[in-house]
Amino acid sequence: MATAAAPPKTSVDAPQRIRELKNRTFAGSGGAFVGLVLLIVAMSIAAPNFLSARNFTNIMDQVTVLGILALGATFVIIIGGIDLSVGSVLALSGMVMGWLSHDGGIPLPVAMLVAVLVGALCGLINGIGVTVFRLPPFIATLAMMSVARGLANLITDGQQIVGYPEWFYKLSTARYFGIISITVATLILLYIAGWVFLRYRRSGRALYAIGGGHEVARLAGINVRGTTTVVYMVAGLMAGIGAIVLSSRLDASAPSAATGYELDVIAAVVIGGASLMGGIGRVTGTIIGVLIIGVLRNGLNLLGVSPFIQQIVIGVVIAVAVAADVLRRRNR
Amino acid sequence: MITKIRRALCLSAVLALLIAIAGCSQNDDQPTIGLAVANQQADFFNMIRQSVEAAGEKEGMRIIVADAKGDGDTQVSQIQNFITQGVDAIIYIPAGATAATIPVRDAKAAGIPIVTVDRNPDGAPGDTFIATDSVAAARELGEHVIELTNGRGAIGVIQGQLGTTPEIARDQGFREALSKAPGLRIVAEQASQQWAQSEGFDIATDMLQAHPEITVLFGRADALALGAAAAARAQNRPDITVVGFDGDIAGLQGVKDGGLAATVTQQTYKMGGLAVESVKKLLAGESLPAEQLQPGVLTTKENVAPFLENHP
Repeated sequence: MATAAAPPKTSVDAPQRIRELKNRTFAGSGGAFVGLVLLIVAMSIAAPNFLSARNFTNIMDQVTVLGILALGATFVIIIGGIDLSVGSVLALSGMVMGWLSHDGGIPLPVAMLVAVLVGALCGLINGIGVTVFRLPPFIATLAMMSVARGLANLITDGQQIVGYPEWFYKLSTARYFGIISITVATLILLYIAGWVFLRYRRSGRALYAIGGGHEVARLAGINVRGTTTVVYMVAGLMAGIGAIVLSSRLDASAPSAATGYELDVIAAVVIGGASLMGGIGRVTGTIIGVLIIGVLRNGLNLLGVSPFIQQIVIGVVIAVAVAADVLRRRNR
Repeated sequence: MITKIRRALCLSAVLALLIAIAGCSQNDDQPTIGLAVANQQADFFNMIRQSVEAAGEKEGMRIIVADAKGDGDTQVSQIQNFITQGVDAIIYIPAGATAATIPVRDAKAAGIPIVTVDRNPDGAPGDTFIATDSVAAARELGEHVIELTNGRGAIGVIQGQLGTTPEIARDQGFREALSKAPGLRIVAEQASQQWAQSEGFDIATDMLQAHPEITVLFGRADALALGAAAAARAQNRPDITVVGFDGDIAGLQGVKDGGLAATVTQQTYKMGGLAVESVKKLLAGESLPAEQLQPGVLTTKENVAPFLENHP
């Protein structure tokens, strides 16, 4: 390596460049990435039906909602916040959409837009609670979690709304190029946008600064309050998009939808290497975290493992992933 | 500025609370019934709640509702609150995997009549118990599946919450029916944890991936079955027969639309009305049978229409 000036330059550089590329894309999530690969290998051996194109599309479909919510949560966790309300906000957005289109006679595309706006509005309220009223994020979003769930139930007195038009259902089930549905494509586009934003945009880099320390970020000229509010708003907006995806998948909207998702979302982001203390986290890491949870659930289901054991396995994975990450950082 | 807004906020919150409390403490001769609902997120319980409220209004009773959100411990506290509030009677729909006995014992100790619905606590039954005869209904559903498939095929079951009475009873009845059809067997079973539609979807998707030979999916509740039907549809498997249980509105709609081949309709509105009627009789000092089991109605495309218009 020291004699890099010699002619066989490319032969030395190629693996190095690959390593560099790997480091750049998966830095902070390297352990999790290896874990995901091992998991896929193990599942391929254990479950005969695991390794197939069909099952891969199944997994992508199964993680779409989790993935969309986790992207918003990644931003929130990077600035050192937390959002417990996403599951409830998703339910509320879905019910508003269903109610507007079924009982309100409003065209479904408009209702979909309103669903996203409702999500964003809930997020905005979370953000204002955190920045203006100085509520701890845990409390502000805990309150929203309860309020949004209540509202979601109130709209139809707890009844679910069933039956959307065929084109709406096809958003999540019709596959283009044989593999990809509109909803999965949306997920991928959102992740690319999120990755570019965090990595190359000034305001994206600002999130890390805020997570590192509010006061320092403020003194460095970053609009901490404004940015924080927008981050919570984006998390809510993602919940609104998630509501559309889930309703399309199930061909129904239920006020009980996405109960407990907030914890899966936080688990996915944390497995991906983000720190709940703020300042650390990557979109690529979150992808890995989401896929680890998705592959685990799918594989264990294929093997017919009881849900009780699945809970134990996922708990252990969270603990191991985070512990490995902490050890790695300490040794560095 | 912010402190001012905060102060105003606090003040208005306290005011709102006071108004709410004042609104609740109306004092008249109406008998008050405490209705302890297991989980309002489940259509089935929600419909019982609605029917109890409707029947109570007709009888001139005041109904206070407490939702345990599926947690037995929460429910025990809620019923103890009812007793402290001095309600005249309690309708108890047990929450959690095992129906707690404490609410019944406490109510009896306080001399308050208590009607149990859906499940009856082991060792401490209510003054009367109202439920669907789930074993018989599941047996009938199983027999219908045998008929539909000519007794041949592979079944995947999406179970409810393991260990709960409905899960056990529906399993028992269904298996009793299947014992007569050796060509029809259960090849896969997987439990959900919240009886939820999204769980049904994911479990059924994975089940069809692992066992492509499956021709029948049985969701132990309509929500699970609807999720399974959506999964079969997404996998392009129109050949699969999906059946559910409960007959909630969404499930009946599914039967009408053809997504579900059959379900069992529990007579939820009748049960709610019967619960209120039983309370009335108990308050009048009449004695009631220990159990008032209602038959579940096997529901297919042929007989679903009237149920959708007017749920039994």
